[in-house]
Amino acid sequence: MTTLARARFSQLVLPRLDEGYRLAHWLTGNATDAEDVMQEACLRAYRAIEGFAEGNARAWFLTIVRNTGYSWLQRHRPRAVVFADDLAPAARAELEIGGALTEAAETPEATLIARDDAGQLARAVEALPVAFREALVLREYHGLSYREIAGVTGVPIGTVMSRLGRARQHLLVRLAKEGR
Amino acid sequence: MTDDETLLLLSAYADGELSPGEVLAMERRLAADPDARAMAERLRALSNTLRGTLAGAPAPESLRARVIAQIGFSDPHPSRVGLRSWLGSWRALAATLLVGLVGGAALGGGAAYLDRPGGAPDTGEAVLAGHLRGLAAPQPFDVASSDRHVVKPWFNGRTTIAPDAPDLSDQGFPLAGGRVDIVAGIPVPTLVYRRDRHVISVTVISATDGAAGEERRDGSTIERWHLGDLTYWAVSDLNLRDLRAFADLFRTRTGGQAGLRRE
Repeated sequence: MTTLARARFSQLVLPRLDEGYRLAHWLTGNATDAEDVMQEACLRAYRAIEGFAEGNARAWFLTIVRNTGYSWLQRHRPRAVVFADDLAPAARAELEIGGALTEAAETPEATLIARDDAGQLARAVEALPVAFREALVLREYHGLSYREIAGVTGVPIGTVMSRLGRARQHLLVRLAKEGR
Repeated sequence: MTDDETLLLLSAYADGELSPGEVLAMERRLAADPDARAMAERLRALSNTLRGTLAGAPAPESLRARVIAQIGFSDPHPSRVGLRSWLGSWRALAATLLVGLVGGAALGGGAAYLDRPGGAPDTGEAVLAGHLRGLAAPQPFDVASSDRHVVKPWFNGRTTIAPDAPDLSDQGFPLAGGRVDIVAGIPVPTLVYRRDRHVISVTVISATDGAAGEERRDGSTIERWHLGDLTYWAVSDLNLRDLRAFADLFRTRTGGQAGLRRE
């Protein structure tokens, strides 16, 4: 039985370590913590492997990584998850006032966005609340569909859509501001 | 002027997540509204840049080693003991082969394959094992090239079939390379394509037995079709819709007819 579980683990989980690691990295914000999260997530995946029948192995494993990452954040950075469901008040106000985007339309912004030499975009992503950040990473890096993201993060599809839209809006506003 | 709602819709439009009706409405809107067009362009540029920004160094090898060591010393919760027949044990063998390859001990695996009980080897299982071995290796291919004129000749002398490697990058499926897989003891060519973060393996086998169709195994989707006296197996963890689109495109570009078996 153990042999079978290990075999399935090496078939389902090991090929997906890099993808899981990238999610853990963006959730925790650094390599060391991402490794800790991944080690725990892999153990959890191993213990649950017999319960995984058929279906999307990738989404299944990413869900485990994501949940492990959240437990880790709750233990080590409880503040990070407090505002998980919304943008920080300052950022929110900024979005509601708006205007930044319409002004920015006059600058050759697409060129500005097209390169991230100074790492502005990476910093802007890091500054996003974790719920927005994970939706963005699962969509833009992992290429998951809205339905899959909804499954992994445990929210309705409509919420995924609005988080992605607002995360992108927020990033565009930040870039437009810094580019000026 | 683009309001919040328009931005949400544009963002979902860029992700291909709007319903057909909403897509039509959005396309009409885009045709008429330069502000919306500009915003759509900004979102597109942002997505392109994000892909590069969000990618980073792969998991360190030390992590892989630690995970393997950790699993080696801990047992899963004793729950349902597998009722699987030899199929289960074959799965175990296939994966042992995988681990063996990762560890650099490839010889035992081939023998295990031949010793497998149950008559004709399960081609699907072997094709899937090849795909997963590719994913577990540092690179899913033996020859890395996006040039179809490099990949096709590379197979000469390595496999009896040198398949056409159509260039599908204009449709978002760039060619990544090729590798040799072993199916039923025979080396066969596998073309490797990418779709964003997904890897698609197309294994070509000279056989026409078995119906064309699609199935899921261990979280991967398999599409197979016939062309001449060859059977093509496309394996990926891509969603079913995109893999179908890929298979249709591949068939069209290699001279087959798309959607033959589609109802």
